[in-house]
Amino acid sequence: MWSTVYTGFGYWDVYTWLIFFAIAAALVLWLRSLGRKDYKKGTDQDEIFYGSNVVPDDGSEIQVPASSAYWGFTEALKGYYEILVELHSGDAREYVGYMVLTASVLAVLVLL
Amino acid sequence: MTGNMPFLVVGILFFLGLYSILFERNLIKIAIGITLLEASANLLLIVLGYRNGGSIPVFTLAGEVETMVLPTPQALTLTAIVIGLATSALLLSLIMMLYKHYGTLDVREIRRLRG
Amino acid sequence: MNWSVHLPALVIAVPLLGAFAAPVAGLGGKPLRNLWLVTVSALTAILSIILWRYVQVEGIMVYVLGGESWALTLPSGLSWPIRIILEVDAFSAFMAVVGSIAALAGAFFSLRFMERFSGLDKFVSLYFLLTAGMLGMELTGDLFNFFVFLEIASVASFGLVAYWRDRPEAIEAGFKYMVVSTVAAMLILIAVGFFYGRYNAVNMAAVARMMRFGYAEKIALVFLVASLAMKCGTVPMHMWTPDAYTEAPAGVTCLLVAVSQASLYGLFRVCFSLYGTSLGSSVVPWTIIVMGVLSMFIGVTMAVIQKEIKRLMAYHSVSQIGYILLGLGVGLLALNDPQAMAEYGFTAMKGGIFHLINYTMYKGLLFLTAGALYYAAGTRNLNELGGLARVMPHTTFMFVIAAAAIAGLPPFNGFVSKLLIYESTFAVYPILAVAALVTSVLTLASFVKVFQTAFLGPEKSVFQHVKEVPATMLVGMSILTIVIIGLTLFPTWSLAHLVEPAAKALVDQAGYITAVMGGGL
Repeated sequence: MWSTVYTGFGYWDVYTWLIFFAIAAALVLWLRSLGRKDYKKGTDQDEIFYGSNVVPDDGSEIQVPASSAYWGFTEALKGYYEILVELHSGDAREYVGYMVLTASVLAVLVLL
Repeated sequence: MTGNMPFLVVGILFFLGLYSILFERNLIKIAIGITLLEASANLLLIVLGYRNGGSIPVFTLAGEVETMVLPTPQALTLTAIVIGLATSALLLSLIMMLYKHYGTLDVREIRRLRG
Repeated sequence: MNWSVHLPALVIAVPLLGAFAAPVAGLGGKPLRNLWLVTVSALTAILSIILWRYVQVEGIMVYVLGGESWALTLPSGLSWPIRIILEVDAFSAFMAVVGSIAALAGAFFSLRFMERFSGLDKFVSLYFLLTAGMLGMELTGDLFNFFVFLEIASVASFGLVAYWRDRPEAIEAGFKYMVVSTVAAMLILIAVGFFYGRYNAVNMAAVARMMRFGYAEKIALVFLVASLAMKCGTVPMHMWTPDAYTEAPAGVTCLLVAVSQASLYGLFRVCFSLYGTSLGSSVVPWTIIVMGVLSMFIGVTMAVIQKEIKRLMAYHSVSQIGYILLGLGVGLLALNDPQAMAEYGFTAMKGGIFHLINYTMYKGLLFLTAGALYYAAGTRNLNELGGLARVMPHTTFMFVIAAAAIAGLPPFNGFVSKLLIYESTFAVYPILAVAALVTSVLTLASFVKVFQTAFLGPEKSVFQHVKEVPATMLVGMSILTIVIIGLTLFPTWSLAHLVEPAAKALVDQAGYITAVMGGGL
C-alpha cells in the first residue's frame, strides 16, 4: 500500500494506526455514554472527591510540583545524578576544556 | 630549519592561547587567549600560503619570476582578521555587560546557569 | 538565460538583503518592520523550496560566484580551482528547506513575542544574518566559505542569545557560547589552512578528489569533527546548549535549532563528501556513534530532573541530536562495505535524515510553545505553572502533537524515524538499539511531566488573567504543526521524495566531486 514504509526488517503503516485510534476513540465514547446522567446537579454528588476533605479554592495548594515528579527515579539514581550535575558546573573554561579533551582523545585514536 | 620557525611560532601562540582560555580566571585574560588563538590561525594561513622562493602576487611588479605566491591565503587571512575583529569587539562588550551585572570578572563567579 | 540558475545565490542573498535593509524598513515604524520580517522570511522559504524542486529535477547545481568558471586558467594552461562556488545537491537543498521553514515559523512567532524588547531593528537584522549564515553553510561548496558563513551565523547567534541584555543570565549564556564557539571556529580555520597547505585549494570537491589520508588530513579531520560536533551540541561538549537555548528569545531558539542542524550538515558533509571512502579505519564512525549514544542518554537523563521548561527542552535537543548522529554514524560505518550498506547502512541513514527534519520541526514547535507559555504566564518555572490547558487550548493542542512526536508515540512522524534507526542499529550492535529505546521512554516520561505540571491540574488563582497568545504567534506555531502532521500522514512520500534523495546524495561522493570537477584536473 502507498502509505506503508518498509524498514527492511518490518513495516510501518500510518493508516492502520489511525483506524485503530478511531476504533479506540469510539469505544471510549461508548463507555462514557454508559455513565449515569441522573445525578443531582449542585449537590454533594457534583463535588470533586478529595479524600473527604474540602477542595481548596486555589489549585496551587493541591498540585504536585514538577520537582517532585519522578522522585523515586531520581532517588534511585542519586549517585549517577550527583556526578552528572557536578559535571555541568557552568564554568566557561570547562566548556572549552571538554572540547579540547574530546579533540585530543579523537586525535590519539585517529593518529594511532 | 629556519623555514619551519614560523610554524613553531604558530604552535607556541596556539598553546599559549589555549592555556590562557583553560586556566586563567579573569575574563579579560580569557578574551586575550581567544585573540591569541585567532592570531595563530591567521599566521598559519599566511605561512602555509608561502611557496619557497616565491614572489609577490602582483603581476606588474614581480618582474621575471619562476614561482608566484597565490594571493588566495592572504585574502582568506584578511577575511579571518575582519571576523576576528568582530568577535573580539563583541566578546569585550559582553564582558563589560557581565561586569555590570555580576560585579566581578572572575569566571568562577559567573555560573548562575548550571545543572 | 534562465533565472533559476541563480537560485543558490538568491537563497543566501535575499536574507542578507533583509538583514542590511532592516534598519531602512525600521524607519517605517512597526508595521513596515514586521511586514519586512515576514515577507523576507517567506520569500526565503519559497526560494528554498523552488531550489529543492529544481535540484530534484536537474541534479546537482554548481554556482560560481563572480565568474563563469570555478577555475582560473593561467596562460601556461594550468587551471586551478580558486573561485568560491556554491554546490547544491539534494542533501543541501533538503537542509535549506528545513532551515528556512523553521526560520519562517520563528519570524511569525517573534512578531508579537519580541514586542517587550527594544532595538527591534537590530533584532530583525541579526535574525536575517543568522538565517543567511545558516543557509550559506548548507549551500556552499568551499571550505573557507563554510567557515565564513559559520562565523556569520555564530556572531549573529551570540548577539541574539544575549539579546535580553538586562538579564544577567542571558549575557552569561551568550558569553559562554561565544568562548567555546570561537575556539571551535579557530580549529576549523586551522583545518582549512591545512587543506590549503596540502592541496593549494579550499574547494571541497577539489580537495576531496586529491585527498590522500596523511597526518595533516588526520589532524584536520579531528579538528573539524570535534568543533562541528561541539557546534551541534553533542555530549560531552553540550554544556552551552541548555544555556543558550534557554536564554534566547523563543523565536530565536527555534532558529538556533535549525542552525545547529547546519553544523550537523557540515559534520556529515566533511565525513561523507570530503573524506568519504578515504576515511579508512572505522575510528571516526565509531566516535560519532559513541557520541550519539552518550548524547541520547546523558541528554535525556539530565532533562528528566530539570525544573525550567526551556532548559528541559534544550537537554532534549541534545538527546535528539544523538539519534541523528547514531543513524548517520551507522551509515558512515557501512560506507566502505556495499553489502552492509544495502542491509542496514542506508536504512540507518534514511532514519537519521528523516529524524533530522522531524527533530527540527517538533523541537522548534516545542520551543515556540514554551515561549507561548512564558509570554502568557510570565514564568518558565514548571513548579509555578499549572492548569493552563483551559485557557490556552490551541497552544495545548500543538504542544501535545509536538510532545507525542518527540516521544515517538505512534502514529506520529517521530516514531517512523526512530523505528528506522532502531531496526538498522540493531543489526550493528543490539545494545545501540536498546539505548535508543530507553532514551525514547525517558523522553516520554519527561514530556508527560511537562504536560501534567504546565497544562493539566487544577486552575491556579495567579493564572486567572492568562489568555491565549496572539494570533501571529499561533500562526508561527501552526506552520510547524502542519509540517509535522504532513510528515505523519504521508511517511512514504516524505521518505521517497525528501529523505532518500538526500541520503543518496550524501553517499555518492563521486557524484559530488564530478559535478564540480567534471573529468578534469
